[in-house]
Amino acid sequence: MACAQVPLDEQQVTERCSLGKERTLSALHPERKEERIFMPYKPPPEECTPAEVEEFLEHARFITDDLEWLLGLPHDKFWCQVVFDESLQRCLDSYLQHAPRGLDLTALPSSPAVADMQRSVHRLVFLAFLRMATHKESKENFITPAVFGEIIYNNFLFDIPKILDLCVLFGKGNSQLLHKMIALCKFCTNVLLENIFTQQPSYYNDLDETVPTVLQVFDTVLEKCGLRCEGATAMQPMKLNGHKQPTAMTMNQQDLVDIILYLCDSTTTIHAFLDIFPAACSSFHSHSFISRLTSFYETAVPDLELSVRKRNFDDKSLQEDLWQRLSHSCRKMVETVHLLLHHTCLQPILEGSENMQTFADELLQHFTYFLPEKRPASFSDETRTSYLLQGVESAWDSVGRRKPQSQLQPN
Amino acid sequence: MSPPRLTGALRSFSNVSKKEDVTEQLYDLKTKRLKRQELFAREGLTWQKIVHFCTEHQGKAKHQAVSQELKSLLLAAKQIVGSEHGQEIIESAAVFLFETFHNKDHVGTEETRAIKQMFGPFPSSAAEASCACVARILAPLEDSRVEDFIQNQSSRHNPQRGSMFGRNIAFSYESYTIDPLEDLPWSGIQEGNTSLDF
Repeated sequence: MACAQVPLDEQQVTERCSLGKERTLSALHPERKEERIFMPYKPPPEECTPAEVEEFLEHARFITDDLEWLLGLPHDKFWCQVVFDESLQRCLDSYLQHAPRGLDLTALPSSPAVADMQRSVHRLVFLAFLRMATHKESKENFITPAVFGEIIYNNFLFDIPKILDLCVLFGKGNSQLLHKMIALCKFCTNVLLENIFTQQPSYYNDLDETVPTVLQVFDTVLEKCGLRCEGATAMQPMKLNGHKQPTAMTMNQQDLVDIILYLCDSTTTIHAFLDIFPAACSSFHSHSFISRLTSFYETAVPDLELSVRKRNFDDKSLQEDLWQRLSHSCRKMVETVHLLLHHTCLQPILEGSENMQTFADELLQHFTYFLPEKRPASFSDETRTSYLLQGVESAWDSVGRRKPQSQLQPN
Repeated sequence: MSPPRLTGALRSFSNVSKKEDVTEQLYDLKTKRLKRQELFAREGLTWQKIVHFCTEHQGKAKHQAVSQELKSLLLAAKQIVGSEHGQEIIESAAVFLFETFHNKDHVGTEETRAIKQMFGPFPSSAAEASCACVARILAPLEDSRVEDFIQNQSSRHNPQRGSMFGRNIAFSYESYTIDPLEDLPWSGIQEGNTSLDF
C-alpha cells in the first residue's frame, strides 16, 4: 500500500516479488500493472438472433467484469493499470469509437438483455473516464496536478477525438443533471473537461490544430455534393473538360445517406462539445468558424434538401428519416453559431469587457455577413434577435455613457 | 460497421491522437478465457484445501466415498476444460466448479453462464455431473461451515479491494436524439415548396 499525504507520483512502495524478495518501486511503475487483457468493445448486433445475442453478452460481460475490477482497485493500482495497460486503453477507445449514439440509424437493441448489458458498459466506461479525469480522489489519494496533466496527455488517455466522443455519448444527460449539482458534486462532463483542459493546456493547442480538420469535413461534404468550396477553388483550378462530379441529386442513394449521416453526426458532436465546454468557442472562432459554417449552410443545404425531397426513394421511411436528420443538422448548425456568437462576442459585451467596442463591431460584422446569405440570415429567430439586440443596445448604452467621461478627461 | 463519424475523420486525418499500431496483438475470447483461468488459479482457494476440508470433517469410513466423488469432480472438470490441459488447470477448474455449485441443487442459467464465460462451450452433462458431485460431497456437512470455508478461502467471495469508484454517482443514460425543426412536418416535403429555412 502506498503512503498517505504524498502525491502518487512521488510515492514508493515496497513489495514482495514472485521470488519472495522485497523490492522498492515507484508507486507508478509498469511492473505493478496486473496482466488482465481487456477486450475491445463490439457494438450490439443489428439482428439480435440468439447466437448473436449470446456472443454480444459474453463479450460485453468480460468488459463489465474487468471495468468493475478496475474501478474497485485502490488509487495507485488503478493508475498503474490505466497508464501501462495498452489493452485497457484500446478497450475504452473502442467503446468511444463504436458505441451506438442516440442518433444512429439502427434502432435500440430489441433484446432486453442486450439493452441492459449495453447500459452497464456505457455507465462503467463513463466512470472509468471520470476516474481518469480526477487528479484528486480524496485527501490521501491524489496526483500532483502538473504531473497529472503530463500523464493524461503523454499517454493519450484523453485526446481531442476522445473528448468529442465523450461529449456526444455522455454529455446530454449528465451535463444537464450535473450542471445543477455542480456546487455539491464535481462529477460531471463539463467539469471532467475542465479538469483535463486546466491541468493540461496543451489540449488547447491540439484543439487549435483540430479545427482545420473539422472545417475540412465540411469541405469534403461540399466536394462530394459536387459543390466547390472557397478554399478548393483557390487551390485547384477547375478543369475545363474535367469529369462532372456527381451531385446530391445524381449520386447513388447510399452515398447520399452517408453524407447526411456524416453531417448529422458532425454537427451534433461539435454542438455538444461547445455546449458542454464553452471555453473551446474561442479556438473555433479564431478559425473563422462562423463564416465558414454559414457559407457551408448556404451552399450545401439547398442541394441536400432538394435531393431528399425530389429523389425517388423506394423506402419512404428512409426518406423521412433523412429529412429529419437534415433538419436536425440545420438546427445544430444554427445553434452552434448561436453558441459561438454568444461566447465570443455577446458575453464579453454583456460582461462589460474592456474591448467592448471591438466585440460590438465584430458582432455587427457577423450580422452584415449573414444578410446576403439568404438562409443563415434566419440564424436569428425572433427571441434570439431581441436578445442579441438587447445585448448590442446595452453595449451602445455603455459606450454612450463612457464617451462623455472620456471627453472630460484630457490626455 | 460504425456509420461515418466526425471523430473518425479526426482520428485519421489529424495529428492529435495516438495512431493505432496495426501490428499490435488483438485478443480473442479464447485468449481472454485462458487469462481468466490463469488469474482464477492464483486466487485463494486451492484444490488441496478443498480435499483437506472435505475429508477432515467427515468420518474415516466415508473417506473413500468422498475421495471417489472428488475424483468424479476432477473428471467432470477435465471434460469442461478439455483433456489437452495439465493437472494444474484441471484442478483449478474443479475449484471453480466447487465454488459455483457449493450452494446449488441444480445447474441454473447463472451457473451455465458463469462456466461458459470461464471455459467456453462445454458439455452440459459435465456440469450436471459436477453439480451432483458437489452436492453429495457437501451433504453431510453443515451449510454454515461450508459457507465459512468458502468465504475465508476464496478471494472471489472476499475481494480485498476498495469499494467501487463512482458507485454513488447519479448517472444519466439520456443521449442526444434527432431533434428536427418542430414546425416542419414530414408531410410538408411532398408539396415541393417546403424548405429548411427558419
